[in-house]
Amino acid sequence: MPETKTKMMSRRKFLQMSGALAAATAVADPCRVLYALTKVAGENDPARIKEVFSACDMCFNKCGLIAQVENNVIRKLDPNPKSLKSRGMLCARGNAGVKQLYDPDRLKYPLLRKGARGEGKWMRLTWDQALDHAAEQLDRIGKEYTRCGFLFMAGTDMQSTFVHQFAEAYGSYNVISHESNCLLSRNRAFLDTYGVMPTPDVLNCKYVIMPGANRFEAIVTPDSMDLMSAKAKKSKLVVLDPRFTKTAAFADEWYPIKPGTDMAFFLAIAHVIIAEELYDKTFVKEMTSGFEELREHVKQYTPQWAQVETDIPARDIKRIARELAAAAPSAMVYPGRRSSDYEDSTQIRRSYAIVNALLGNWDREGGLLVPKKVKPGSMHIEAPFYEDNPDDRVDAGRAQMMFDEEGSFKHTRDAVIEGKPYPIKGWMTYKTNPMQTGANRDKTIEMIHKLDFMMTVDIAMSDTAWMADLVLPAPSYLERQDPLSAFLASSTCSGVITRDPVVPAMFESKPVFWIVKELAKRLDLGEFFDFTVDDFRKAQLKKIPEVAKALKEDGVYNVSGPSFGLHKGKPFKTRSKKIELYNTRYRDKGIDPMPVYNKPKVIPKNYFRIVVGRNAYITQSASTNNSLLWELEKENKLWIHPKPAANLNINDNETIIVKSSAGKVTIKARVTKETRPDTVYMDTGYGVLSKGLTNIFGKGACIAEVLEDKADKISGNMAMHETLVTVSKA
Amino acid sequence: MKQRKKYVIIIDAAKCIDCKACLVACKVENKVPEGFWRNWISVLGGENGSLRTEYQPSQCMQCNDPSCVAACPVQATYKQENGLVVIDPEKCIGCGNCITACPYKARYRNPGKRIADKCDFCEDRLNRGKEPACVVTCPTKTRVFGDMNDPESQVAQMAKTQKLVQIAAPHINTRPNIFYYEGTQLLDWAVTPKLPGNINMPRDFWKTVSTAEKG
Repeated sequence: MPETKTKMMSRRKFLQMSGALAAATAVADPCRVLYALTKVAGENDPARIKEVFSACDMCFNKCGLIAQVENNVIRKLDPNPKSLKSRGMLCARGNAGVKQLYDPDRLKYPLLRKGARGEGKWMRLTWDQALDHAAEQLDRIGKEYTRCGFLFMAGTDMQSTFVHQFAEAYGSYNVISHESNCLLSRNRAFLDTYGVMPTPDVLNCKYVIMPGANRFEAIVTPDSMDLMSAKAKKSKLVVLDPRFTKTAAFADEWYPIKPGTDMAFFLAIAHVIIAEELYDKTFVKEMTSGFEELREHVKQYTPQWAQVETDIPARDIKRIARELAAAAPSAMVYPGRRSSDYEDSTQIRRSYAIVNALLGNWDREGGLLVPKKVKPGSMHIEAPFYEDNPDDRVDAGRAQMMFDEEGSFKHTRDAVIEGKPYPIKGWMTYKTNPMQTGANRDKTIEMIHKLDFMMTVDIAMSDTAWMADLVLPAPSYLERQDPLSAFLASSTCSGVITRDPVVPAMFESKPVFWIVKELAKRLDLGEFFDFTVDDFRKAQLKKIPEVAKALKEDGVYNVSGPSFGLHKGKPFKTRSKKIELYNTRYRDKGIDPMPVYNKPKVIPKNYFRIVVGRNAYITQSASTNNSLLWELEKENKLWIHPKPAANLNINDNETIIVKSSAGKVTIKARVTKETRPDTVYMDTGYGVLSKGLTNIFGKGACIAEVLEDKADKISGNMAMHETLVTVSKA
Repeated sequence: MKQRKKYVIIIDAAKCIDCKACLVACKVENKVPEGFWRNWISVLGGENGSLRTEYQPSQCMQCNDPSCVAACPVQATYKQENGLVVIDPEKCIGCGNCITACPYKARYRNPGKRIADKCDFCEDRLNRGKEPACVVTCPTKTRVFGDMNDPESQVAQMAKTQKLVQIAAPHINTRPNIFYYEGTQLLDWAVTPKLPGNINMPRDFWKTVSTAEKG
């Protein structure tokens, strides 16, 4: 555009001025304000935009991104093509990250509860007042109920390590993560079979059976993209899911399996593979233990028997078993991610792990791999010893084989409510939202009412923050300095990523590192936080200096190259040093050493099994209020098949009541053949209590309100698909 | 003389997982207001509770014979040498003729600016040496962008090896510059546009068949 033209007073510019004047007199009509329309000189000058590397935090994937910054404002987030994990993409949530930063619903200052819990009455505090108050509570509760009387819960975050470190210095070993509402039973099963949680090489796999997982909607990088690349290479995808998910839409074969019967399917697959001697004989002989026991065990689980259990024809089970074995070792049962579904969830995943072992896909291209992981150093602290602390965690003994470092939300909550084996009176949460993600919301509220003090550090007023006594505002991922984070993506990549502030932190938000450091100072624990994030990073980089250069130049450090064949001849980290088809530790603990099938409970007349999940633009409860994403789904609906809907006289989009023993919700119906007639489905992340989430407040229903809180017996993982509901017109 | 550019997008709809990354990327890049879109994803299936089986992304097709350009009374919308159909915000009077004239419903009236708006393949990004926002952000790389007049470009290579089709509206052919893989189902989103009476279009613009045509 010629320079002279931009200087001219155009008709449009004139309108803009008169429009602005008009707006001043007609404030009730904000649409009257006109925007600047003329291009300013230099607008197309590439130098006006600064590019800054970061890592996305809209979900757990940590995809590489490049922020486009103009005048200290982030204009756009672009994918970082250098990240081999995210393969040069940024999903809808990643693109909506700017709205997490520039969101009018963000927490701006420390808030102290003034009314009843959950009433939404707050008083603004200064940071000094807030920290003094929190430190007083930590001190008092620690003295009165022991240090373990204070519970800590931090979600998946690059700064959660500092919350753990603070809990350690403070002296509580009651630390739980979000993971017991997610994937612990899967990890348990694979660890107890392989001694490690392998990653699936989807990219090079020729035959993938995907039970339950919804990889084209619940995006995991790079698996979601690799699955599509594999499809282009004519890989076969078989999906088992009571719902016709988008993953099912892209599958070569979709089986609407009866919920809760996946184990029957895989035991029958094992039956066929063993009976027809299709397994990798050398591999099974050299690398596994308990094959003879398994052979005997699966004799009873015939395809004909599984047909009755799963609703999948026996001839298809036989054919799939043969095809799978023919494609081996580039064939797999996909381990999946969230496994918080049934009370025998670990045993269900054990059946996946066992079929994989029969295929001999361990450490082979297109199979289950353990890539080289970068191991940053760390700063270990010598935590003080508190003599009066109880002997064990508060949730100890409630599950057969819990992960101590993750804990169990369900069991901890029960323990707090019961006050047994000892009382818990304080709770700090950071970037996790159990009010929305922990089944049976009423019980979470009951737990909170047992507490003297609850503090929440978050970006927005989540439902968990809404129930807290003290709410502290954290910056978004685009405004803070984080430690390095090593990631293990899958087959072809692992690496390291980090974050520096792209723009300065807004409002009075402070990172959780600063918060725990300030609390430590006030509690005479300052010596344990006598460092900066920079110091922490230096310690992390000590043995891997090459990482710093890559992070600076590319925004990511990738370890690429073949990630199979790395473990030849190495023993497995299991008791037998082999892959445990038969687990002797389980036997010794009175747990079935091989998965034993138990029928799911029969669904009585007029009842449905409810299952939950999400789509590509939802991260549980953390993203649904983001206005860019909210526009894509303004409320969740209950998916119900047309047949039962007709019987109940329920029309599409009609408001209905969904009721379980845990609670009752009101929601609109989505009448669709995309779910089985006996199964209804809801997205996560709606039906909030918090009036601080202005877009979604009053919209849809909360899964935690209607789900019953059963748990996986072995890992203590929440079991969210055990709930049966009735559905009726509102 | 330097060859003129001809920007096109080739879409393999079979790879679209309907994740809506392209919608949000576009909305942020181009400051598209709530309730409006410069691009979209059409769905095959889903009526009366049926299964949804295919997703088709699209946006302004930067047509060779753009009916929107012909419909504009003040020449605010015009086709550039590089093939992009753009809108001059200083000239646009917001009359809306171009919006109804588009057979792909690719235009909307920006309520804040009170002028027409639509996809311009992120011309601002192109000027900065970047591909359109919808193209780069896609997890499965459903869209491929490039200069069809550059024989070395990926799109030119694809045009040689892959059978491509265009989505044409009933009754008219605007010769769009978005191409789909052959076999893409023709959905109902291309419509007969409402054109002002006095527009002047080439003779072969008017046609009688409604089909996905070979490119």
